[in-house]
Amino acid sequence: MLNNFFRRECSARAKRAVFGSRSRALLAVALVLHSPPAFAQGSARPAEVLRSEHDAGRPGGRLVFALRSEPKTLNPVTAVDIPSKDVIGRMTADLVHIDRQTQRTASALARSWSVSADGRRYTLELRRGVRFSDGHPMDADDVVFSFQCYLDERNGSPQRDLLVVGGKPVVVRRLDAYRVALELEQPYAAAERLFDSFAILPRHLLGKAQQEGRLAQVWSLGTPPAEIAGLGPFRLKSYVPGDRLVLERNPHYWKIDGTGRPLPYLDEVVFLLVPSEDAQVIRFKAGETDLISRLSAANFGVLSREPTAGRYRLEDLGPGLEYSFLFFNLNELARGPLEGVARKQAWFRQLVFRQAVSAALDREGMVQLVYQGRGTPLASHVTPGNKLWVNRALPPPARSLPRARELLAGAGFSWNAEGTLLDRSGAPVVFTVVTNAANASRVQMATILQDDLRQLGMGVQVVPLENRALLDRVFQSHDYEAAVMALGSGDVDPNGEMNVWVSSGPTHLWNLGPSGPSAPWEKEIDDLMRRQLVTLDARDRKRQYDRVQELVATNLPLIPLVSPNVLVGAREGLGNFRPAILDPYVLWNADELFWRR
Amino acid sequence: MSRRAALPTALAALVAMHLAALGAGFLAPYDPTEQNRSVPYAPPTRLRFVDAEGRFHLRPFVYRLVRSGAGGAYEEDRRQGHPVVFLARDGAGAPGGRVHLFGVDEPARIFLLGTDAFGRDQLSRLLHGAQISLFAGLLATVLSLGVGWLLGTLAGYYGGWLDSVLMRSAELFLALPWLYLLFAMRAVLPLHLSPGQAFLLLVLVIGLVDWARPARLVRGVVLSARERSYVLAARGFGASDLYLIRRHIAPQTFGLLLTQAALLAPQYILAEVTLSYLGLGVSEPVPSWGNMLASLQHYHVLASYWWMWVPGLALVAVFLAYYALSEALHLRAGPTSS
Amino acid sequence: MVRLARRAAHGFLLLLGVSILSFVMVELAPGDYFAEMRLDPRVSEATVQALRVRYGLDRPLPERYLRWVASLARGELGYSFAYGQPVGPLLWPRVRNTLLLTVTATALAWLLALPLGAWWATLRRGPADAGLTGLTAVLLALPDLVIALGLLLLAVRTGWFPAGGMVSLGHEQMPWSERVRDVATHLVLPVTALVLSILPVLVRYVRAGVADALGAPFVRAARAHGIPERRVLLWHALPAAANPLISLFGLSLAGLLSTSLLVEVVMSWPGLGPLLLEAILARDFYLVLGPVLASTLLLLSGNVLADALLMVADPRIRDEAT
Repeated sequence: MLNNFFRRECSARAKRAVFGSRSRALLAVALVLHSPPAFAQGSARPAEVLRSEHDAGRPGGRLVFALRSEPKTLNPVTAVDIPSKDVIGRMTADLVHIDRQTQRTASALARSWSVSADGRRYTLELRRGVRFSDGHPMDADDVVFSFQCYLDERNGSPQRDLLVVGGKPVVVRRLDAYRVALELEQPYAAAERLFDSFAILPRHLLGKAQQEGRLAQVWSLGTPPAEIAGLGPFRLKSYVPGDRLVLERNPHYWKIDGTGRPLPYLDEVVFLLVPSEDAQVIRFKAGETDLISRLSAANFGVLSREPTAGRYRLEDLGPGLEYSFLFFNLNELARGPLEGVARKQAWFRQLVFRQAVSAALDREGMVQLVYQGRGTPLASHVTPGNKLWVNRALPPPARSLPRARELLAGAGFSWNAEGTLLDRSGAPVVFTVVTNAANASRVQMATILQDDLRQLGMGVQVVPLENRALLDRVFQSHDYEAAVMALGSGDVDPNGEMNVWVSSGPTHLWNLGPSGPSAPWEKEIDDLMRRQLVTLDARDRKRQYDRVQELVATNLPLIPLVSPNVLVGAREGLGNFRPAILDPYVLWNADELFWRR
Repeated sequence: MSRRAALPTALAALVAMHLAALGAGFLAPYDPTEQNRSVPYAPPTRLRFVDAEGRFHLRPFVYRLVRSGAGGAYEEDRRQGHPVVFLARDGAGAPGGRVHLFGVDEPARIFLLGTDAFGRDQLSRLLHGAQISLFAGLLATVLSLGVGWLLGTLAGYYGGWLDSVLMRSAELFLALPWLYLLFAMRAVLPLHLSPGQAFLLLVLVIGLVDWARPARLVRGVVLSARERSYVLAARGFGASDLYLIRRHIAPQTFGLLLTQAALLAPQYILAEVTLSYLGLGVSEPVPSWGNMLASLQHYHVLASYWWMWVPGLALVAVFLAYYALSEALHLRAGPTSS
Repeated sequence: MVRLARRAAHGFLLLLGVSILSFVMVELAPGDYFAEMRLDPRVSEATVQALRVRYGLDRPLPERYLRWVASLARGELGYSFAYGQPVGPLLWPRVRNTLLLTVTATALAWLLALPLGAWWATLRRGPADAGLTGLTAVLLALPDLVIALGLLLLAVRTGWFPAGGMVSLGHEQMPWSERVRDVATHLVLPVTALVLSILPVLVRYVRAGVADALGAPFVRAARAHGIPERRVLLWHALPAAANPLISLFGLSLAGLLSTSLLVEVVMSWPGLGPLLLEAILARDFYLVLGPVLASTLLLLSGNVLADALLMVADPRIRDEAT
């Protein structure tokens, strides 16, 4: 069945390639098997290259990008924070890459691949003649070695869990010098997407460290550039602690543009450390940086109003994948210190209560006040930005205070003379909402919902907490009543959200712990999520995930609030600037960026 | 203004400010937590005396603000003027509603100092916020200086091992990473803090953590003061320690204390902003000058909404008053070094 | 000599106390470095636990403390969870940059505060007095961050100064003199921000002290002797006012590593500030402990220096021979 799926995709691709301009817009790549003379390395075997279908540009120039915090390491196996990944992503390459704009997989270091009939075995064919940035050739041994590193528990890679499918780690085997096989314990629907961001590591540089068990300690910041090699468009040039990191063009990069010129166009990429967002905005305006990513709506507004607007282009990419939500503490609490919270759970556990709260919230107001209109109210956890998976049949959330009152009255709540909401036993409905103090948007959202719920008679107190204190309460002590948080998977595929929706998942925030599903609908969600993991038919999966979204919107284990738009900017004159809502928003096609003048 | 008149003037100014803070419920036209979501960051409402037709009105009036255009800029709706009503009552005049000094009838609003991100009246927030900021700042200053003075005097006067112990403790206090203790404290405290509890906590935390600096400064002065000839003479006459401290040494520290008080109070008012990051200060929607100023720490506010600076101006006024008071008291006390 | 040795012993005890108490405080604070990883839906609890074990966070507190002391002896100052590196090499280049900033700013602030404060003390009530009062009040009322942001805005609007950083791109290729100039131009704004936040406090102390001294009889006597006013001010009044200033000076040495935290973050100055701020919030504990100890050392030295200067300045303060 998968072969049919695959064949359909292939022929569709072929059709699109034949019909010209559509292919440019939809698909980024077609395979080319000849190598232009520029790539011939003397007597070495010419590299098989990937030809880009986008605008051809001119080489030269430098790009300056500001990072909000310093990259912590250059080691792809242990990197966990966004700045490190931003940098490492420009220096490394993966086997199958997700094109950020089309959100579909495309071939990268693997020039083709096939899947067995039962969907458990992938055979990938690597491009031949590809070299690392130090000139050393790459082959299947490097691929096997890389996966070994990610899977080795001694290294403690945060990416390891992605490679554990059906409880067992994937097995990667070398078939010959340029072919590898990947074996899964069970069929995995999004297996292709697994390969994205798993950088292929140089065995000739890291093999010894891995053998000695100290792979996690190598390639830290300050490692001399000669000791680092990768397959990405750029390689490390220099690093100034606390200030910047400079990458230079990788002469051995395996991609070329439409005219046959080797990519990347840029000579250098400079990652400048600018720790405050306001300073980033100011420096972008001043022309000291060329790209700005993750702009807040307020700063976007300021930048678009300022008179020098002509020198840069700002883009509002629409809703991203992040969703913020209000959730109540639904954990099973042991008797004792959390007595107070346990009593209030009697309210939280009633579906009607949650529905009433959801009906009272002014999501439009949140979008207007917190994000200056650059956001979307959410009915469920999948945002409209996720075009492939969002359930369009779900009605948008409607605000209705009368309906909220109706729901509450029907559940036995009443109001006293001052308008305070009382529960069945006459106790006033009062609870605290915790949120991350460092995130101004969350605090603002919490303030708005506090006011909204006040109109229902509920007494809500907003308690901004320092981030780790908040996480400690949510994950460890469960000492909280309600919280406003946000999540956002890095990919559109539902598998990224497994841990949130499966009742035993580690990010099943509102009810952590070993207990199973607490209601029939929770069980249904569990079943659906597990099923979509192994369903290979795209339409079936979509139906299953649609149903999950429906269940979330109706039963409200968490109450979705809003999703902010992704806002970015670039200096005028930057060619091939095609930002996308998948991370990294502006740098994902750094190998194709060029300066027009 | 002559030097004689300075003390009563400064005192009067401070008392007036504190009274205004206490009377915020009456003086402010709106509830400080009332959100007007259609008018975020609205500029101050202009009081007008001459209307669109050129007629002069004795009683000032205002126009309603509406958003216009794609950019969301504000414009006055000149079609109807709404006169300012004095001694306005909440709830459209119904009995039992709270009385305010002034207001305007619905649907217009009078925002003399503009609004913030949620459309809340800045003037109301300023007046109510003064309650927390002025009084907490004042009390924390008294606490910190009180403890610092006591320990510094003891250390400086007795010297020896007491001095060692106290000064090393002071150094310990100054060196420790307090932030973590504050995190721990927040974890231990119940999530729900009543405004009174939050206020007390604020005062205690700010006041007690920072005694070391005043203590050190006072100690230095006391070290010098106790060696003055008249002190030695008095001691020779058999004066007790307590007498010496009270009569001769303490007065020498007053100048320093006054200077410090005038400098610490502002710092403590601002310290409340940091504390609210830790969940230990006042939380939304309760206003305080600290959290009002916190919004200034963003570029877009700094650059675009000048009326958000007003709490800063209010602070300046308060500091000037404290400074004038400390100067006047200093003068009263006379020269303390000889 | 004995006293110095005793101070050294006290200092060592203090360092010990600070380090132990810091360990205890961090332990009490909720959450640890790896807490944030729990939010990533792709990471399992097992991985988080495994990482905690690898970095020794599951060991008992005393054991962790002793391990840290051992690494101190090796010059490593512990291990950073975030950077996966020993702490020492992370700190040195940044400490250098921070000291460049703070030493310049502190020296400048003191050099400006002394004459300014002394002069202010001589002013009668009038426009200059009112102006200075108003100016210091305004500077005190503004949070540091606002001052720094304001200066940054100024930089951008006028284009006279770079909007952040310590060096321009291409700094390494410049000749030596150009490089000095480059750093100097980048230094202007952060130093100004720091000076503007330190100065008002200092000036007020200086003024208060000098004004006090000017009222004393010996000053009147000096004037009666015909000593010129400036000499009276600088050589008679100022030294008499020195007492609290010396203690203040000692305290300002203690702040050399920490006063510039916020300014560094806003101005992207590559010093300890951004590193420390992130490490503190992320509970990257050993990384925080290093600067805490360094600051403690500075505090100690500052106080020792201040005490020594106090005795020099005021011979009446006798040595405690206990």
